[in-house]
Amino acid sequence: MSGDAATAANATSTTLPRIDAAGSGDGPGQEPPLMGLGASLPPADARAKTEGTFPYAADLWAEGLLWASVLRSPHPHARILSVDTSAAAAMPGVRAVVTHEDVPGDSNYGRSVVDRPVFASDLVRHHGEPIAAVAADHPDTARLAAAAIAVEYEVLEPVTDPEKAFAAEPLHPDGNLIRHIPLRYGDAEATGEVIVEGLYRIGRQDPAPIGAEAGLAVPRPDGGVEIYTASTDPHTDRDLAAACFGLEPDRVKVVVTGVPGATGDREDPGFQIPLGLLALRTGCPVKLAATREESFLGHAHRHPTLLRYRHHADADGRLVKVEAQILLDAGAYADASSESLAAAVAFACGPYVVPHAFIEGWAVRTNNPPSGHVRGEGAMQVCAAYEGQMDKLAAKLSIDPAELRLRNALSTGDILPTGQTVTCPAPVAELLRAVRDAPLPALPKDTPEDDWLLPGGPEGAGEPGAVRRGVGYGVGMVHMLGAEGADEVSTATVRVHDGVATVICAAVETGQGFTTLARQIVQEVLGVDEVHVAAVDTDQPPAGPATHGRHTWVSGGAVERAAKMVRTQLLQPLAHKFGMSTELLQIADGKITSYDGVLSTTVMEAMDGKELWATAQCRPHPTEPLDGSGQGDAFVGLAFCAVRAVVDVDIELGSIRVVEMAVAQDVGRVLNPKQLAIRIEAGITQGIGAALTENLRTARGLIRHPDLTGYALPTSLDAPDIRIVKLVEERDVVAPFGAKPASAVPVVTAPAAVASAIRSATGRPVNRLPVRPQAAVVTPKA
Amino acid sequence: MQSVTLPASLDEAVAALEAMPAAVPVAGGTDLMAAVNKGLLRPSGLVGLGRISELRGWHYQDGHALLGAGLTHARMGRPDFAALIPALAASARAAGPPQIRNAGTLGGNIATSAPTGDALPVLAALEAELVVAGPGGVRREIPVSHLLAGREMLSPAELIGFVRVPLLHAPQVFLKATGRTGPGRATASVAIVLDPARRGVRCAVGAIAPMPLRPLEAERWIASLIDWDGERGLAPDALAAFGEYVAAACIPDHEPPADGSETLPLSPAVLHLRRTVAALARRALGRALS
Repeated sequence: MSGDAATAANATSTTLPRIDAAGSGDGPGQEPPLMGLGASLPPADARAKTEGTFPYAADLWAEGLLWASVLRSPHPHARILSVDTSAAAAMPGVRAVVTHEDVPGDSNYGRSVVDRPVFASDLVRHHGEPIAAVAADHPDTARLAAAAIAVEYEVLEPVTDPEKAFAAEPLHPDGNLIRHIPLRYGDAEATGEVIVEGLYRIGRQDPAPIGAEAGLAVPRPDGGVEIYTASTDPHTDRDLAAACFGLEPDRVKVVVTGVPGATGDREDPGFQIPLGLLALRTGCPVKLAATREESFLGHAHRHPTLLRYRHHADADGRLVKVEAQILLDAGAYADASSESLAAAVAFACGPYVVPHAFIEGWAVRTNNPPSGHVRGEGAMQVCAAYEGQMDKLAAKLSIDPAELRLRNALSTGDILPTGQTVTCPAPVAELLRAVRDAPLPALPKDTPEDDWLLPGGPEGAGEPGAVRRGVGYGVGMVHMLGAEGADEVSTATVRVHDGVATVICAAVETGQGFTTLARQIVQEVLGVDEVHVAAVDTDQPPAGPATHGRHTWVSGGAVERAAKMVRTQLLQPLAHKFGMSTELLQIADGKITSYDGVLSTTVMEAMDGKELWATAQCRPHPTEPLDGSGQGDAFVGLAFCAVRAVVDVDIELGSIRVVEMAVAQDVGRVLNPKQLAIRIEAGITQGIGAALTENLRTARGLIRHPDLTGYALPTSLDAPDIRIVKLVEERDVVAPFGAKPASAVPVVTAPAAVASAIRSATGRPVNRLPVRPQAAVVTPKA
Repeated sequence: MQSVTLPASLDEAVAALEAMPAAVPVAGGTDLMAAVNKGLLRPSGLVGLGRISELRGWHYQDGHALLGAGLTHARMGRPDFAALIPALAASARAAGPPQIRNAGTLGGNIATSAPTGDALPVLAALEAELVVAGPGGVRREIPVSHLLAGREMLSPAELIGFVRVPLLHAPQVFLKATGRTGPGRATASVAIVLDPARRGVRCAVGAIAPMPLRPLEAERWIASLIDWDGERGLAPDALAAFGEYVAAACIPDHEPPADGSETLPLSPAVLHLRRTVAALARRALGRALS
């Protein structure tokens, strides 16, 4: 589920977020501020989004525009013998048909590995791979013309089992193994007194953005093209598209429109490049609005993962050694698989102290739908597995599951299996205690009058006598910012004129709240009430992708630095006049006052009609790639979260309802309490989807049911009470403002907690996500 | 789309379809428009049934209710309707999110004949009859099960006008198992209808086959156990046995192979479905008799 979508879903839920006093960030009796950091500033676009007037890419229009349609492969694996576009090109109203032969520049693209063709030329590697695109004067004409392209296939046997990909014929010239990380840490011979083993399977979650992909490409008089779309990484997309168009990057401009939900990379270049090509070809604006089916076929999904684990512990439940094999199904192309695998391997033991770890991770190619970046990738799959192992260990040793986790909890100064020392706050035990000690939701009374939402819903078949309640725990961790040496940099400009500030930064607002945060930062530093954030395009300096919570950190940091430079420019002449340093002057409520309150002037007066500009960059400390044995300081920072799930299971039907999720999260510092609560709720809800219903099913590589009926997202009835019991505000000294990004770690942790609660309710092993009803059924003993 | 006609009466609608055989009738459009939006269907004309007020309510006839095909799920879910035909009301309340229930109609549910159509097992258990309107004011009746089984079909320019349902004045239950707590398609559903006048129990199982299934032997067996003149209650064992009977009848074991080798066991997913049907049937009968 996408960010915006999740937010919207929660807005319709019957319960409002409840934040206990510990979470508000203020002592009792202190009013929360109305502006600046710590205020619950509402998003500037909230009204327009609520009223339906906020423009998304699908709403764009240009005079004389043409409509694009993309022909996609109906087979997961096939050789293309011929492509005949003549019938399509001859149809009245069709203006251009393009195939791989019409790509003037690079024929392949890829965000990390350039391995993916714009259009399949000789081989189709997944269901839905683009083969050709059409521009016509009507969307129906474009669709009919795409259908009229005659493609002759030699259907090949698809490789759909990632375990068989190792021995299978190479699906790609680069081979089937995308990456292998053999992590070795400690003594391989170490053994524990107790050993538990488990095999876990995690399904294919789709980002399922509430708005499907759409875009408008407009040719420029200089031979370049402008692409208006909801890109979440506009500069990278521009560079990839320009390379395929055979143009210099400055001839291509990506203009970011409203983003209708993004929890992964949005508007894959696979959508943008055909669009731009058609605009360049026809000299006309071309619009593409993907159908829901096309959206499911076209974008990347979460990696389906197979995990084998063996945990060794001593008799007190302290972990001795973790052995694991992790296999990520990357689909046909590399995309973000390498990064996902690094996260999966590095966090394979979870937020626990493990003296010895031996983790083998692989990401392999198959003919399944392509996998890529979806919030919490890698970390989420292993969390479900290592928490399953912790439950098994607790059962075997007859130790309370929360207590067992506490005995092993990681804290600052401990060492990860990658050899990296945890230098940031890591309040794992504190988080876990907070959720464990929170009061449990009341048990419903077994009477027909009682308003008890049974598993199966209000008109479902649930019967109180068959319902068992379970309580389970999940503790998760995720890295923040890009890992393994990625250059995480962002640039921002702040301008102040006439008492109004403007922020120019190419960080995309995906619903994560960056523009609101940017306004709060400028309010805080400059004391200016009115702050505008400019729309994003690639003429601005790059800010990087909207992933891994990096905009809170790097773009927020860049905005703060730029604002501080403006502040210095503003105060320098005054400080000189008053004979004191700028640090001794304060800005508040549009007034500048000296530290002793003796000297005072207004901001407007100090500005004296001048226009002040400053541009700054934020670049966190560098990281290094994991080496041949999985060792290295690969991560800038880590975030942690503990969740206690309470579920009701109808043990005859196997229907499951999550009653409550109690969350405690390590956030560094609360910058916007309301926005933070929404991010956590959205993440938990997405995690519940992955735990219970969200699985994009395939049959022999073909996507089954690419629609929102077959792919069941959580509705407001599926979203439980989400209780934020504690927000630990231990500032991370290396992060701007000390704040940690908050969206990903609830997604990582929630599925593990739900699975754990179902285990406790049913006594079943629950080793597959999403949990199928038959896995939650308890058959009476014969 | 060439033309859209909005007739005000059933006969006008039939005449419009007769005049333009390629046109498609549309009521709530919850299935039809999804097919249009997917590009699967491009009707050259539409005959909208939304303005035919005679189809949007019901009236009574010889101990039966004659339900208009244009009754929406939302309307059928209301308490006054639930007092008449409780199981149909329950299925209407379970039929998707409010947007779908506000638009989708009883006639549409029958015409679409989707295996997961929630009203269908209830209509099968009620042994409902369809009143079909044809050209020239002709009316004919078809048992709903005949239409669903394909034994009788609608001819060109025929429309489902009404659904004749007996008023049994006895408990009825509809239960549905879904994959999530929010609205979803049924994985299995069971309708149980008591008919005290005929001392009968009628049961239909939906969503597990292309049409609702009637376990007739199980119905007769359980009806013979009920003390119709007394408390009507049954022991838990009898309810459980009924559930198993219904489930085994609707989801039978594989046929033993002709060569005498061992019968293949059912797959875990099918076994789960059978357990689900058994639990639904047991619960539904228990509630009907309580």
